[in-house]
Amino acid sequence: MRNFILFVRRFFNLILFLGLEIVCIILIARTNSLQGTDIMSSANTVSGLMYKKQNDVVIYFGLRRMNDSLINENARLRQAMAIYHNLDTLKDTAVRRIVKTSDSTRVVQYNEYIYRTAKVVNNSVSSGNNYITINRGSADGIAKNMPVISSTGVVGRVVNVSAHFASVLSVLSVKQQLSAKLKDGTFSYITWDGDNPDVMVMKDVPQQIKIHMNDSVFTTSFSFFPSDILIGTVFKMKVNTKNNLRQLYLHPSTNFRNIQYVYVVENKMMAERVKLEDSTKKIK
Amino acid sequence: MNTYVKNLFKFCLIVLLQVLILNKITLRWWAQPGGFPVFIPFVYPLFILLLPFETSVPALLILGFVTGISVDIFMNTAGMHACATVLLAYLRTNVLNALLPKNLSEYPNQSPGVKNMGWMPFLVYSGFLILLHHAMFFTLELWSLNNIGYLLLKIVASAVTSMLFIVAYLLLFTRQSSSRI
Repeated sequence: MRNFILFVRRFFNLILFLGLEIVCIILIARTNSLQGTDIMSSANTVSGLMYKKQNDVVIYFGLRRMNDSLINENARLRQAMAIYHNLDTLKDTAVRRIVKTSDSTRVVQYNEYIYRTAKVVNNSVSSGNNYITINRGSADGIAKNMPVISSTGVVGRVVNVSAHFASVLSVLSVKQQLSAKLKDGTFSYITWDGDNPDVMVMKDVPQQIKIHMNDSVFTTSFSFFPSDILIGTVFKMKVNTKNNLRQLYLHPSTNFRNIQYVYVVENKMMAERVKLEDSTKKIK
Repeated sequence: MNTYVKNLFKFCLIVLLQVLILNKITLRWWAQPGGFPVFIPFVYPLFILLLPFETSVPALLILGFVTGISVDIFMNTAGMHACATVLLAYLRTNVLNALLPKNLSEYPNQSPGVKNMGWMPFLVYSGFLILLHHAMFFTLELWSLNNIGYLLLKIVASAVTSMLFIVAYLLLFTRQSSSRI
C-alpha cells in the first residue's frame, strides 16, 4: 500500500496527464456518434446566447446581400404562385379567373411539407464535420432529423435541439452521405472529402449516362430531404479505373461561407413512412 | 492587481477573442478552389503559454483542460481542443527548463514573455508548443492518415498563421514600461 502511494506521488503529473487525455478521448468518441451531441454543442444555452449577441452585431454587415437573396426568393415564389393559380400576383387588382381542374380520379393531395424560416447564428466551413447553429428550437417546432435548405439549395440536417436553438450538421461533413439524382433520374450518392467547401463528389455514376458540364444534381425522395432540391452543378468528371464508374465533381449551389437564412422543412408524412418501412422490414 | 484576477481576466479575453473573432475568419492563402486547405488561426493556447513560471504541472494540466473544453463547447468539437491543450500544458515545463539558463523557481512572480526571455527563445518556446498542439488537434480532427501530405500542409500552415497572430497579440498587449507582464 505504501509503495502504491509512493508510486502515485512520484508519477502524479503523468497520471493526471493521461487521465485528462482519456477523459478527452472518451468525450470525442461519445460525441462522434451523432446521438451523443447533447451537452457539448453550441446549442446549449450559454454559448447560444453568446453567439446570438455576436450575431446581432455582425448581421449589419450582411444586410444588403441578405436583402438581395430575399428579393430573389420572393420573385421565385411569386412566379411559382402565378403558375399554379394562373393569377398575376404582381398586379394589385385581383384577377378573378380561377382555373378549375375537373379530375375524374379524385386524387387527393395532402400538404406534405411545412417550411419554417430560421436565422444562422453560428457557422463553420473549415472542419471535417461542419455544424451550423440556428435560432429556432423545439419551442418553434424544430425536431431532430428535419432537413434544412436555403434559398439556393440543400444545407443539412438537424442533429440536436434545445428550446430556442438547434444544431444542424451541414452536408459538408465526412460522416453523412446524401442521396442524389441527375435530371434524367439516375440516382447515386454524394460525399464530401473534408477539405474544400467548394467541391462535393457524386460517386458511382454509370458511364453510359450522358452528362454535360454544369448539369444540375438534385435530391431524391429516398432521403430525408424533399425531392428535387438543387444540390449543385457538375464541373468535372473522372472515370474510376477500379470499377469503371464515373465520379462527378460538383460545386454546391449553397454558398456555405455566407449563409444567413435557412428553411427547416418538416415532412408531415415522414413518421408514417418510417413506420411503414420499419414494419415491412420486420415482415421480411 | 492580484495574479489570479489578472489571469482570469486574461483567460476571458483570449477565449472570447478566439471564439467571437478568430473563429469567424476563415483564411485561405490563395484563392483558387482545390488549392490550399482552409483553416482557422488558434490563439487560445497562448493563455497556457503565458501563465507564471512557478505554476505547478497539475495546475497547468487542469487549466489546459478547462481552456480546451471552453473552446470545444463553442466549436462543437467535444474534447479535441482539450486533448491538444492538455498535451501542450504537460510539455510546457520541460520546454521551459530546456530553454532557460536558470531554474524555474528563480523567476518569482514572472511570466514567460519577450521581456525576460528575449524574442528568439520565446518564439522557439511558443512555436514548438503551438506546432505540437496543432499536430495533435488536426490529427484528431481528420482521424485518418490516408492523405498525409494534406494533413502536414494543414498543420504547418495553421501553425505559421497562429504564430503570426500570437506575435500580433504580444505586440498589442505587452506593457512597455513595467518589468512585469
